[in-house]
Amino acid sequence: MNNRFVERQINFLDYALASLWRKKLKNLAIILVFGAVIFLLGSFQLVSNGLLQRAEDTLTWAPEILIQKMTAGRQESIPVNYKEKLSEIFGIRNITPRVWGYYFDEVTLANYTVIGMDASKMPNKSGFAKSLEKGQMPTASGEAILGQAVLAVKNLDNSPAFSLFRPDLSLKTFSITDKFKKETSILTDDLIVMSLADGRDLFSMDDNLATDLMVSVANTREIDTIAKKIADILPDTRVLTRPQIQKTYHMVFGWRSGFASVCLLTALAAFVIFSWDKASGLSPEEKKEIAILKLLGWQTSDVLVLRFWEGIIVSFSAFLLGCTAAYLHVVYFSSTLFLPVLAGWSIIRPNLQLYPNIHLADLVLLFCFSVLPYLAATVVPSWRSASLPSDTALQGG
Amino acid sequence: MRPSFYYVTFILSVICLDGMFIYYAGQGKSQQQKDLSIIHDVTKTLGLTDICVTTEARYTRHPAVSDILVPFMDHPGGMEHFPSGSFFSPPYTNNLAENR
Repeated sequence: MNNRFVERQINFLDYALASLWRKKLKNLAIILVFGAVIFLLGSFQLVSNGLLQRAEDTLTWAPEILIQKMTAGRQESIPVNYKEKLSEIFGIRNITPRVWGYYFDEVTLANYTVIGMDASKMPNKSGFAKSLEKGQMPTASGEAILGQAVLAVKNLDNSPAFSLFRPDLSLKTFSITDKFKKETSILTDDLIVMSLADGRDLFSMDDNLATDLMVSVANTREIDTIAKKIADILPDTRVLTRPQIQKTYHMVFGWRSGFASVCLLTALAAFVIFSWDKASGLSPEEKKEIAILKLLGWQTSDVLVLRFWEGIIVSFSAFLLGCTAAYLHVVYFSSTLFLPVLAGWSIIRPNLQLYPNIHLADLVLLFCFSVLPYLAATVVPSWRSASLPSDTALQGG
Repeated sequence: MRPSFYYVTFILSVICLDGMFIYYAGQGKSQQQKDLSIIHDVTKTLGLTDICVTTEARYTRHPAVSDILVPFMDHPGGMEHFPSGSFFSPPYTNNLAENR
């Protein structure tokens, strides 16, 4: 019984393949267009997953709590003496003021992220030294560590020093102590790290101000409780916690993002046009073929099984090729099509090598988006046509 | 040979190729995982909050510490115009409310 059923299905598959081969150019075109839509959606999903995974892996040790001062809805510099107001909170291990911001280099048109921190108060100094090429921390004023891309963009490979402009356009010169290792470029490519005093000097900030306060706690399970206490004591601040920072990337690369919407709308538009074309009826030749099959003794159910196999062959081939191309694009071609959009006008473009995990849920979602609508659009008009009497169909009815 | 044989062979070949691609990508990924300890040291020491994907706008360079209105604050009537902005949806914004 089972063998007969399998043999029968293989016969249908043979017939469906022969039938598709008769119109090979049209069907190949459908597979290519269909595959391109799946490629676009699949690539986006893989890039999002890859970035999300990279962010999750990288930001495991993001700051436990960050305190930013808010005035009139904007973030502004926070007084360092806010630390003293938090001395009553039990469980805070350390509060480190940081000065950080952006520096637009008018010569190279690149944006750098400048971080000023007191080297003596840096946590995990020995570990940090391992991330540097020579392991040399800045010890004196006027010393800086640079990211690999900053060195490349400013052409500083053989230069011992460089200069940046203060807001009043006077020059501040730094000697290059060390550079970050290439392995850390996903975090450090655009970084210039210097002492807290140098950061204040570069940005012309008062000595009693910082950009934010980085709080480390004794017990990480108390992060939320301590954050609430800080928010109560300092009502004019925004308190960011590690879980919130980690959650950010789930939000920013979700299906709601603009590019995802464009991909989805493109896919949807393609399907609407395609389904409308299919559902609006079969061609006279297709109707005639169905009528002849019925005259030869085929049942309506046989015609439907045949059309089902044709739909499966086209849509599954497109699905498989689209998914394969998407994986190759993201992993082996470094998301070449999406990176120009993602990097935009950035001069510093980190080498973004992603190795996304393939989730079954994503494959099922893509499958439901592509194969199922195609099957519906193929089988339904055939069922309508196969229900007609053969002589009516042959006469063009 | 039946046409179905060729088709099934084609499908199985593509699936085998996919397996090979995934296997070789796994090697690159394990190298990336080995480098994570260095990356964690940098994150711990400097308190970094974001990965460096794009550097053109401050709100796409550091989405974790940006506001929802930041793209429109650069100048009066300033519209969000950076290409990378089209890739990012608004960041998590309930931070203030959540800690109250």
